[in-house]
Amino acid sequence: METLALLLADARLPAAGHTQSAGLEPGLAHGLDPAELPAYCRTRLATVVRTEAASAVVARHHWLAGAPLEPVEIAWAARTPSDAMRDTSRLLGRGLLRLARRAWPSAVAGWAPGAQPPRPLVLGAIAAHQGLPSAELARVVGYDDVQAVLSAALKLLPLDPAETTVWCLELLPDIDRLSEAVAGLTETDQIPATGSPQIEGWAQAHARTTRRLFSA
Amino acid sequence: MLDHTEAPAKRAPATRAPATRALRLGVCGPVGTGKSSLIATICRELARTLRLAVVTNDIYTDEDARFLRSAGVLPAERIVGVETGACPHTAIRDDVTANLIAVEDLEERFAPLDVVLVESGGDNLTATFSPALVDVQVFVLDVAGGGDVARKGGPGIERADLLVVNKTDLAPYVGVDVDQMVHDAEHARGGRPVLALSRTDPGSVAALAAWVTDRLAEFRGGHLVPVDPGPMAAHSHSHAHSHPH
Repeated sequence: METLALLLADARLPAAGHTQSAGLEPGLAHGLDPAELPAYCRTRLATVVRTEAASAVVARHHWLAGAPLEPVEIAWAARTPSDAMRDTSRLLGRGLLRLARRAWPSAVAGWAPGAQPPRPLVLGAIAAHQGLPSAELARVVGYDDVQAVLSAALKLLPLDPAETTVWCLELLPDIDRLSEAVAGLTETDQIPATGSPQIEGWAQAHARTTRRLFSA
Repeated sequence: MLDHTEAPAKRAPATRAPATRALRLGVCGPVGTGKSSLIATICRELARTLRLAVVTNDIYTDEDARFLRSAGVLPAERIVGVETGACPHTAIRDDVTANLIAVEDLEERFAPLDVVLVESGGDNLTATFSPALVDVQVFVLDVAGGGDVARKGGPGIERADLLVVNKTDLAPYVGVDVDQMVHDAEHARGGRPVLALSRTDPGSVAALAAWVTDRLAEFRGGHLVPVDPGPMAAHSHSHAHSHPH
């Protein structure tokens, strides 16, 4: 494990992670069974997170090759049909970009002021600039999503934090499998369109509710 | 081996905020002390002369944002709510990202603005704004919370730029001596300003509005240096005491 991956996956990174439930809040509001939390995480890893992780890896490759990132952004957007989820990813990307302009300014110099790139692209640029291997980058995306679900679950459900930690531990092999599946991708047309209509529908509904603990 | 050696971008000097943007004014304090109401009062008093916008950090609903919109003191689109994931303290202190983005969006959309007010979600006595988010901050207590709260101290009570003792009109009904509470607060603050406020007392409302416009003038003149009240009460007491630490 590269230490930079630890930094990027740390919930204490000031990039608005605490505002996110990775779709859990609307999921629970629409009947997701709390006993199925690990399955919910696995579903995300197999679907929407797979698209995000692949986009990050391909963005990293493009950055290293000196190729523009716009085609990666277009490919990511085409595979993220929920505008609510695109907005969330861009909001988080903007937060990470703000941090990156201080921490790794030359990694993100290609984005103009006011740019709103999706989070996986900013992560890909940081990884490329800092020499973080693509497999580690994909793990960061997967791990962050699992922990976003599980830490939000502690706010939303009567759970023992030790139990969610055990669930996370049991999900680590799934994160590794996601990493293996996407780490070698280099081209935009290899980014999987593995959306999840259920998760996307929940995200759309959440964006319109007025009772939200989490932004998404 | 990774190359982590790139020099970070030069840190902005932790002194003056650039006066080319709006003054960012934070309002924090415990739940129910009247933060939204205080913001509505400021807007009511100043919206005719200043260009204002508001960011709220509601905990579970957009209640505060809706209250302010329904108060009609500002156009609804100038009031936005930010979700904090049940972490109101984090959102104003150790990860201000979501709030900064909301502030910047308002500044861009309604440019030029004079003041952006940021209302924290009601939290405990230790919550104060990071100077990375606001230029100046108000801590709000109310008489109904008990006359002894000002004596308890804490960073906001002791070192926020202004301490408001709110709802003074309720003092007779809750058995609080306002003068004593203000005196305790002044003692805890070492000369920093304390304002006894009631919506029904025009003199106190005028004093609040004047304090805001004075800070704006200071900000525009380049003389406003954000002061961090700090996360912790200074571990010292000016009075003799016997309680164990």
